[in-house]
Amino acid sequence: MSKQVPETIKKQVKRSFNSKEVKKEKNEKRMKLLKEIQTKAFKRAEKYEKEYLEQEQKLVELKQQALKEGSFYREPEPKLAFIIRIRGIVGVPPKPRKILQLLRLRRIYSGVFIRLNKSSLRMLHFIDPYVTWGYPDVETVRALIYKRGHARVNHQRKIIDSNEMIYDKLQKFDIVCMEDLVHEIYTVGKNFKHANSFLWAFKLKPPVGGFSTVKKSFVNKGEHGNREQYINTLVKKMI
Amino acid sequence: MTTQQLRPIVSVFPIKGKVKTIKQVPLPSVFSAPIRPDVVRFVHTNMAKNNRQAHAVSTTAGEQTSATSWGTGRAVARIPRVKGSGTGRSGQAAFGNMCRGGRMYAPKKVWRKWHRKINTNQKRYAVCSAIAATAVTPLVMSRGHRVNKLPELPLVVSDQLQSLTKTRQAVKFLKFIGAYRDVEKVIRTKKTRVGQGKYRNRRHVLRKGPMVVYARNLGIKKAFRNIPGVETASVYTLNLLKLAPGSQMGRFIIWTESAFKLLEDIYGSWEKPSKFKSGFYLPRPVMVNTDVERIIKSDQVQTVLRNRRPRSRKYGKKIQRADPYEDMSVMLKLNPYYKTKLQKQKELEEKNKEERKEIVDKSRKEYEDWLYFSEEEEEEEEEGSDEDREIEVLSDEN
Repeated sequence: MSKQVPETIKKQVKRSFNSKEVKKEKNEKRMKLLKEIQTKAFKRAEKYEKEYLEQEQKLVELKQQALKEGSFYREPEPKLAFIIRIRGIVGVPPKPRKILQLLRLRRIYSGVFIRLNKSSLRMLHFIDPYVTWGYPDVETVRALIYKRGHARVNHQRKIIDSNEMIYDKLQKFDIVCMEDLVHEIYTVGKNFKHANSFLWAFKLKPPVGGFSTVKKSFVNKGEHGNREQYINTLVKKMI
Repeated sequence: MTTQQLRPIVSVFPIKGKVKTIKQVPLPSVFSAPIRPDVVRFVHTNMAKNNRQAHAVSTTAGEQTSATSWGTGRAVARIPRVKGSGTGRSGQAAFGNMCRGGRMYAPKKVWRKWHRKINTNQKRYAVCSAIAATAVTPLVMSRGHRVNKLPELPLVVSDQLQSLTKTRQAVKFLKFIGAYRDVEKVIRTKKTRVGQGKYRNRRHVLRKGPMVVYARNLGIKKAFRNIPGVETASVYTLNLLKLAPGSQMGRFIIWTESAFKLLEDIYGSWEKPSKFKSGFYLPRPVMVNTDVERIIKSDQVQTVLRNRRPRSRKYGKKIQRADPYEDMSVMLKLNPYYKTKLQKQKELEEKNKEERKEIVDKSRKEYEDWLYFSEEEEEEEEEGSDEDREIEVLSDEN
């Protein structure tokens, strides 16, 4: 005759949270959610493209207007910087060492985004000889996050595989997809802090074509310190 | 203990006739005491030291010389040497533990601590454990007793056993009840002791057979005295060294009915203290219900547990992913708008291209026109053919 199934096992199966129906239900829910996320992602990406274009055009307009009037247009000071550590670990004095740690620049050729304000500018002043930094444009931010963007998930560094990953962590900040993340970082929005800390520090490659001399500042034909918009070309070489 | 309110029943067997239950008796609470081999081992190893006799080496052994060291400069070791001459012993080394005929290292003394004090409660705990173990058939069997043919364990027998006087009667009883196989084992395995005990009045070694526990000795002691392997004991004075010989629990015991009943009074229960051991209650087990698996799987526990957190397979493995700028499918997963974006860019480019083309064509035409007219002026002077020129101009446009 049929084997007797122990009662404890019968009960367990009944109570099981992994039973087929439950799994199926969960899966359906998940699929639905993924679809929602992708439609949102589409719409928002569209919106942001327009926004970036408008911004550019506006800037151009204002400059032209100023020219016409004979005055000057002063662009708003940059809010976002991308810092790359270009010196190694050996022989770094304690203050810069601490600041580099605080900025998550713990190894050479690691990069982070940072919001520019008085306090962070002061920090950058201390670590100038060890880093190079500048103002990234949209394409640079995009490239970094798409190609080299890793998320901090459960204290682990995981490559951003899908929008679901971003949704899980940053949904409460209304960041739901890659483009949202890019936008938040580039425009330094309200939730920049959370978006930035979601990202693990970027691990870049040494630049194709090399550096001239790291010991000198960029201004003096070297490499360290503020290089404003030229950070974009450097990132292209290092990404 | 609430589990003990329903006590199992044990059959009482007669000592002759037919092996069938003449009476039923409740199992005393001792048999549900926790079985603690660690306690029994500890108590047994210490209790076993208590029947030792002091021994020591003579105090003067090896010291009965007046040896002195010769000192240095004589090409001999500096050990004390026997004085005098004229005998082989003179000049020989003396006193040291390494010397022949010298005293041993740390000569044994009689005032060595031979006996061990054990806490009374620990002793009682061990005895309770040992008694409980005698009712557990696997333990009794693993101790080596032949108990296959017994009608029941614990084996309780009518009080008539206490009145037996003849060894013949005792043997007959053992055979009747099925315990004689154990005795046969003892007889079969009687051997000369290995080692020096054989010439120190401990020549033979016997296994342990059944133990008969009685309440009143009305001849039973003498009846069982000469049967090899069988021991008798009064229920009032049960000895751990006999209940768990070699600290191995599970002695085969034959109880008489009154002895069996007395166990409840002698060792008490968890509610009532012992009548003979003042203030003694049975030891409590750490766990009452040791079937942990069953407890965990019970409804009462399972309904209160939170959901098992699913293993996050999404983030479990290290995810490899292609570069989105090289693999379009990866890019689209991350940014579904990307394809549309590229299309729009392309359209814009083409539109710009067309516009530019218009502008370029227009300006080129103007240039060509200007060129044409200026050349025409020259032509009028030089009398060249117009048609040839026009063809040239056309070919440049293409």
